[in-house]
Amino acid sequence: MMSMSDSIIVLEKVNKWFGPAHVLRDIDLSVGFGEVVVVAGPSGSGKSTMCRTINRLETINSGAIRVNGQPLPEEGKELANLRSEVGMVFQQFNLFSHLSILDNVALGPLKVRKQSKAEAGERARWLLDRVGIGDQAQKYPAQLSGGQQQRAAIARALAMDPKVILFDEPTSALDPEMINEVLDVIGKLAEDGMTMLVVTHEMGFARQVADRVVFMDAGQIVEQAPPEIFFTRPETARARDFLAKILK
Amino acid sequence: MNEIIEVLPTLLRSFGTTLELALLSTIASLLVGTVVAIMRVAPIPPLRWAGTAYVHFVRNTPITIIFFIIVFGLPQVGVIFSFFWFAVLVLTLYTGTFVAETVRAGIQAIPAGQIEAARSIGLSFTQVIRYVVLPQALRNVVPPLATVLIALLKNTSVASAFGVAEAINSMTNLVNVHSTVVLGIMGATGFAYISLALLLGRAFAWLERTVAIVR
Amino acid sequence: MTTANLFDQPGPKAARRITLFTIGAVVLIAIVVAYAVMELAARGQFDAARWSPLTNPKLILFLLQGLLNTLGAAAVSLVLALVMGIGLAIGRLSDVRFVRGPCVVIVELARAAPVLLSMLFLFLAFPLAFHIDLSAFWTVVLALTLYNGAAIAEIVRAGVLTLPSGQQEAAYAIGLRWWPTMRLVLLPQALRVMLPGLIGQLIVLIKDSALGFIVGYQELAAQAQSAALLFNNPLQTYVVVGLVFVLLNSALSWVSTYVSGRQVGADSRDQAITTVGLEPEAAAALRALDVERRMGR
Repeated sequence: MMSMSDSIIVLEKVNKWFGPAHVLRDIDLSVGFGEVVVVAGPSGSGKSTMCRTINRLETINSGAIRVNGQPLPEEGKELANLRSEVGMVFQQFNLFSHLSILDNVALGPLKVRKQSKAEAGERARWLLDRVGIGDQAQKYPAQLSGGQQQRAAIARALAMDPKVILFDEPTSALDPEMINEVLDVIGKLAEDGMTMLVVTHEMGFARQVADRVVFMDAGQIVEQAPPEIFFTRPETARARDFLAKILK
Repeated sequence: MNEIIEVLPTLLRSFGTTLELALLSTIASLLVGTVVAIMRVAPIPPLRWAGTAYVHFVRNTPITIIFFIIVFGLPQVGVIFSFFWFAVLVLTLYTGTFVAETVRAGIQAIPAGQIEAARSIGLSFTQVIRYVVLPQALRNVVPPLATVLIALLKNTSVASAFGVAEAINSMTNLVNVHSTVVLGIMGATGFAYISLALLLGRAFAWLERTVAIVR
Repeated sequence: MTTANLFDQPGPKAARRITLFTIGAVVLIAIVVAYAVMELAARGQFDAARWSPLTNPKLILFLLQGLLNTLGAAAVSLVLALVMGIGLAIGRLSDVRFVRGPCVVIVELARAAPVLLSMLFLFLAFPLAFHIDLSAFWTVVLALTLYNGAAIAEIVRAGVLTLPSGQQEAAYAIGLRWWPTMRLVLLPQALRVMLPGLIGQLIVLIKDSALGFIVGYQELAAQAQSAALLFNNPLQTYVVVGLVFVLLNSALSWVSTYVSGRQVGADSRDQAITTVGLEPEAAAALRALDVERRMGR
């Protein structure tokens, strides 16, 4: 059992309502340093919402969230600071369409970390190389394929040197032939020791890369286990149903 | 033919007034419109309502009526400017609503996810506006703004009925004096308006190409 | 599920600031309104003498007559402009260059000229040069038709062009030729899509008909002018007439929104961009931006 002080992200009794809908129910979750946590579950289970509460893109109605030992700031500079330490990769990539991908990656270090143009540019180039699209640096997002755009988005998240990266269904908007190139990049990040929370439907990836699988359904965390256990001997009936449907 | 050449200088000079009207109103309505657009997306409800009310009322009223209200109504409460400045006021108030809607569309056309992404790398509110929202909004806004401003140019003609000695006013006077060459005078006026509109159109097309984002 | 917008969900400090500013804004607006009301009252703008004429049934009838003339001119112009617009649009979409060219020229010229110029041309040039005396009604209607016909031509053309190209290909594939394709497949669909735009054009017509007073057409603005001069209550008369126009056009806008299946009366932050009174190019550009936003692109 992970002690609280080892955890980089802690969610304690988190509840959220969207109007009458109870979308997050008593969520208790912690992610430790260097851990790769995969969150799986049917659509509408609240996985994305939970992921987005961690950097306050969504607010919560009750409960507590702690990142890096500190309670999640509600606004202002503290929140911006926290967000610069927590990377996020979106399902829709969300690259800034008016900037080249090099500028996309360099924007954060340039304006938030106040690095020099040369520093930021160099590091951006290095990161783009690392995700395999260094030769596309001057292109604009619209000129790249989905897989290339998502890899650029990952580079943009890495540019801020985050303590943890949140992935909100990173491959769900990709054509099948490009999913693997992105999963490979994420897998390599895991190997290099990056702490990650990945919301995804890709069970093969979960099996190979996750340290722990968190199964959510109808707003609750139903089961948590290392992948070897979760995929072969799931405890709860709901998890079994879900796996039966997915791994047909 | 000679008569037309005689009257051309007068006609051309009156276009100077037309352009003056158009230019001043353009600058003012861009300012007013942008402010109102911001009001309409602000998190402060009274500002939103005020902006919406302004846009709603002015857009649905003929520009003629607004001219009447300003030129004949304002003096009743002691506000008196020259006809020219009243015209600038009317054109600004009227065109401002179209600018406001255009700017608002330009802002809202930016995919919301990009703004989330900007916030999630730690950019402050002002930084998000400056580096992500504004550059894209400005580029979105150029094509529709061109049409709005060309319409403004044409609307300056209404000022002729309210005491401003701009092109249409001058044309009417000249026609009444030189009634034999009415076609020539009106043709020249029409030609001038159309040329100006086409010129503006070209200028904006150039502007659009220059700032275009690769799509 | 989530509606991301420009602002984060406010934290406690931000929420306090918003409340403060909201109160401040309300106070400011209240002060301005109060001041305006006081000034108006001081100058006798609320006197019965200025307002009672507007309750006089004869005056109301007089103004209604003007309104009828406004609507009459707008309606006739709409019909004629539709005919002209659809004709020109078809011409612009034609395969034959001899037809397409002149149509393009006519549309561009008709849109670039101010409506007032066309009106004055019919009003002054026809009697002086052609010795034809047009009635005020036809002066207004023809001038409005010229401009709006071109505008509608662009709306129709845009409507047809935004149809999926597969429609035309499919029609050709089953053996339909150019005109039947236009008539049976493309135009009906385009017209349905364009209905909101056409209602918008009707609003433009109603507004532009107010220029009729310049050439002696007794529509609502002209009647208002007579009344205001007679009773010396310009502010009251023009404001009330303005409100009548606003009511009329709002109702039409509402119908247009309803027809296009959008939400009526949503919060202005989420509101569809209204394109009333905009020229077709601007309206199309704004609508394209709006579509992109709604698709979450």
